[in-house]
Amino acid sequence: MVKKSLLAIGALLVLFPTLAFADDPSVAQLDMGLNAIWIMVAGVLVLLMQGGFILLEAGSTRMKNAGHVAGKTIFTLGLCSLIYWAVGYGFAFGTEASESLNKFIGIGNFMFEPSLAAGEGEGYPTSIFFVFQLAFAAVSLSIAWGGFAERAKLSAYLIFTVIFTAVIYPIIAHWIWGGGWLATDGAQDYAGSTVVHLTGAMAAFAATILLKPRIGKFNKDGSANEILGHNQVFTALAVLLLWVGWFGFNAGSALAVGDGFFGYVAFNTQLGAAGGAVAALLISWLVKGKADITAMLNGALAGLVAITASCAYVEPWAAVVIGLVAGILVFFSSMFFEKIKVDDPIFALSVHGAAGVWGTLSNGLFATEELVARGVGKPGLFYGGGGEQLWVQFESVVVCGAFAFAASFIVLWIVKKAIGFRVTEEQEIIGLDLSEHGNYGYPEQMKKAGTSV
Amino acid sequence: MSNPQREKRLRKIAVAGSLEKLAAIRESEQSRLSAEIVSSPIHTVVDSLNELHDELIARTIELAEIEMARLGHGAPPVPYAYLLFGSGGRSEQTLNSDQDSGLVYADPADDGKAEAYRAYFAQLAAIIVRSLITIGYPPCEGNVISSNADWCLSLSEWEGKIGRWFAEPNWENVRYLLIVADGRPIAGDLSFGERLKDRYFNDMLGNPVIARRMLDNTLRHKVLLGVFGQLLRERYGDDAGSLDIKYGAYIPMVNAFRLLALSCGIRETSTLRRISALQHAGVLTIGEAENASQAFSFFLRLRLLATVASEDGHRVNTGKISRARLTKELVGPLKKALKTGKYYQRKVEREMNGRFGGR
Repeated sequence: MVKKSLLAIGALLVLFPTLAFADDPSVAQLDMGLNAIWIMVAGVLVLLMQGGFILLEAGSTRMKNAGHVAGKTIFTLGLCSLIYWAVGYGFAFGTEASESLNKFIGIGNFMFEPSLAAGEGEGYPTSIFFVFQLAFAAVSLSIAWGGFAERAKLSAYLIFTVIFTAVIYPIIAHWIWGGGWLATDGAQDYAGSTVVHLTGAMAAFAATILLKPRIGKFNKDGSANEILGHNQVFTALAVLLLWVGWFGFNAGSALAVGDGFFGYVAFNTQLGAAGGAVAALLISWLVKGKADITAMLNGALAGLVAITASCAYVEPWAAVVIGLVAGILVFFSSMFFEKIKVDDPIFALSVHGAAGVWGTLSNGLFATEELVARGVGKPGLFYGGGGEQLWVQFESVVVCGAFAFAASFIVLWIVKKAIGFRVTEEQEIIGLDLSEHGNYGYPEQMKKAGTSV
Repeated sequence: MSNPQREKRLRKIAVAGSLEKLAAIRESEQSRLSAEIVSSPIHTVVDSLNELHDELIARTIELAEIEMARLGHGAPPVPYAYLLFGSGGRSEQTLNSDQDSGLVYADPADDGKAEAYRAYFAQLAAIIVRSLITIGYPPCEGNVISSNADWCLSLSEWEGKIGRWFAEPNWENVRYLLIVADGRPIAGDLSFGERLKDRYFNDMLGNPVIARRMLDNTLRHKVLLGVFGQLLRERYGDDAGSLDIKYGAYIPMVNAFRLLALSCGIRETSTLRRISALQHAGVLTIGEAENASQAFSFFLRLRLLATVASEDGHRVNTGKISRARLTKELVGPLKKALKTGKYYQRKVEREMNGRFGGR
């Protein structure tokens, strides 16, 4: 065996002498290659989170809308990719804007054409960076769909995808990640508690206000009805998919393999998610007398959303605390939204909004001096930094939240006035599978039910 | 205890010759009593209400016997007793309780008679149940009712049945044992009731472990008080914000004291009387008994006040106290009473665990 192998290698060396004498890759090249692989893997993981959103949204809604809910996620992912390539990426990361304009928005790289390989001194190929950033934009968009669920017109999805991906999301991404004014102020949002999650949640909030609650959600006397999702197993599986995908989301945001710091980020991410799941189940058990599965699943996601901003800036114990608080917060937040009669079928406002705000603020509390040295900000309140970082974090939450809400509200308000935002009562009752697409996602089950309608 | 109002009512019921008359009496008496729910001491309201139900049911049974004779079946061939189970058995009926009932008759001398008796009492029970529906007692949803052949039996058949339930205490049989524990003869030869109880408590002594099974059967309904002392209200639907007083307060206490009473050989069926018998037996201190009675009376009152929704003309007790009724003044004492209920639910659970070990 050994003899044969040696013989073969010898023959190959004779045939292709350059193999043995090619230049060894430089350390920088190796470094770039490793980074590229990791960011690509992370980007794919984040892209796979769309599978989580499909199952989450479909599982939390009714059977008659399942095909629509699942299918539109793939459609809008496609549309979002084209728009982000053509416009969005340029507004977020373009470098050709004047200094004063760059504070607000980037310019350049429209219809992005990446170079074939990483250039001298680049840590990774821009093509891979684009894929990674695109996946983030798509996640933010899918979060927004939570507020549309079960009653928005398909055309509204189309229009909102275009505007959100082209303008709304890129502007906020630019402010914090693209060298905009909040980045200059020292706002720290490692992987996007604000940029991705709060932005998406605010769009969902605007949508759900304009759409009004689903038929049958609230009674005349203001009491709420429970509209149960049709498949809790889907919902649980969704949370697992998102959880795993989040390692790409957070650890991938290191954008480098380097000294292995991305492992620390992943480590904190796991602690935050775990804290959220545990705290939410316990608090629901204590408050309602029954351990609520939906609350627990929301808690896991809330833990992930909250740790997203701070995963690279805090110590492990703080990651646990951030997760635990997020789990409790999401439980009370979902009760609050129901109380003020906001219908939030997928709990986007609580999971991505409330927990996103908490995660961003927590950075101003728990960020350590050693770790912020890798970021752009200052240590948090509990690490001798005073209230300065907390204030910057607060500012970024308020400004980004208000902008995302206002912009989404205006766009959707125009949609509502111009072409109508919500399907008709009849369409809503028969389900969007039939009204928007002409076929049921579950034909056997629904045809049987349909005969009695 | 001569009560002029009651005497007058008794006379009226005694001479009522038709179901329509009985229904009218029920209507007027109940509206008089429902005005007293808030003002009078609750046990007097519950007692008079249950006396009213007993009198109405007894008179209905007399009318049914007359109807049987009119149909040519003659008088009852042997003595029998009509049994009430559920809240009727416990003398805790509300303004709109349903029928849970059974019938027991003397053993026939030979097989030939057996069939004839069975036929007679089956028809009698059917008439009684139908008549009671007419005067506003809906039938039991669980089919625990004398018109069901399983609940209309001769004395030895009943004894055999109870024996089988004890011998094979699966979930359903234990449920039946719990139902029969609240049984009370209301008309006919009342001694049948005692004879069935003899059998029941005899078997109970031979199977102390049955108490453990009974506990498992009743733990599902928890007192609706959370860890932080908060009320566990309905969260969704038309009843959102209301408290399920029936299954979240009343039933858990009924279950707890039934179990304590059964394991001490106490034959009372009303919960308040069970509590005072437990005190006499030394199982509860005077203070505990007083506390428990107070809490339970409070639940009885709330249960009478529970939302009466009109469902196609029938009055229905949802057993829930609406959000609007749960005022600050009410919630304070309610929480205190629920705490007491929770205490006894735990106490019974602990005692059974102590006696028979954990699951």
